[in-house]
Amino acid sequence: METALRTALGAATQNITAEEFDAIVLRHQRRVHRFLLMLLRDPEEADNLTQECFLRAYLNRTSFRGESSPETWLLRIAANLARDHARSRKAGFWKRLLGLGDDADDGVAAQVPSDDASPEQALLARENVRAVWNAANQLSQQQRAVFLLRFVEEMELSEIASALDLQVGSVKTHLFRALQTVRGKLRNLR
Amino acid sequence: MNSNNNTHDPLVERALAGFDLAAEHHIAECQPCQAERDQVENALRQFAAANREYAQRPEDFWELQAARIRAARHESESKSRLTTTLIPSLVVLLLAAFAILGRAPRIHPVQPAAPVAQVDSDHELLLEVERAIHSDTPRALEPATLVDESDGNPPLDPALQNKETRSHEN
Repeated sequence: METALRTALGAATQNITAEEFDAIVLRHQRRVHRFLLMLLRDPEEADNLTQECFLRAYLNRTSFRGESSPETWLLRIAANLARDHARSRKAGFWKRLLGLGDDADDGVAAQVPSDDASPEQALLARENVRAVWNAANQLSQQQRAVFLLRFVEEMELSEIASALDLQVGSVKTHLFRALQTVRGKLRNLR
Repeated sequence: MNSNNNTHDPLVERALAGFDLAAEHHIAECQPCQAERDQVENALRQFAAANREYAQRPEDFWELQAARIRAARHESESKSRLTTTLIPSLVVLLLAAFAILGRAPRIHPVQPAAPVAQVDSDHELLLEVERAIHSDTPRALEPATLVDESDGNPPLDPALQNKETRSHEN
């Protein structure tokens, strides 16, 4: 199945070389890292799991069947890693103890682009971002993944379904629930 | 849209999710729903932009990250190479050891010699018994006598022999 990965990557020979895999890393690491950072809200864990994601992808490269794009395949590995990480009680305990998620919320809210915005508009934008973050925090891991892939990564429903190993119908349901929560938070803001 | 107007809510959410044409048609007609959708969409756009900004890293970071991934890959490759080399080598060594041990001369335990002499004497005894039966000698029927004789003892006293014969008659 290395051939499928090579075809998807535009390569032609039988075995994927180390250099070709390095090229895959350089091409996709930003998106994988961003997705993990949004899911975990922990920069250090996002760094570690990004490395783990690519290592797993390399070790299991023969399992890639070419049914989706390499990027979708990588995001699926990342989502599985994030899910396993979230299941780890130890990680949850230390995160709660150190209050890591809250820092990330503030960090994201501080990043609101305010090129031509007035101070009032910038403040409103920050509040909006914080409200959406809070809403995302209330979602289950699966719902949050669907929500982030749709609205941050701007992926199609079928791509999200493939990345998270879900039916398109389930993706719609998760998205619908996520939007209900987000709207609820935004209403409270006004 | 008034927040009390809950019947429109699912339509706005469906339109936001972007998979419902009927909802899209409704929003095109309904001014409050349109305003609500625009507001949420705006917040979502800001959220996405803030996240992309938050995830930005300098180029050095990505190079370092790629180098770490490369190092981890090398490490895992060398581990698997070691495993694939070591296991067959161990198997070959074990087979060679078995082969060498299999060729070495075996030391058989010394088995006790078959009791040939005993068999022979038994056979002789049987022949003597047969002979005695045919010769009608009462003494010869006594196994004890036969055994005594075979052990080299002198024949019994005739008087004693008669007494023994009588006791047999009794």
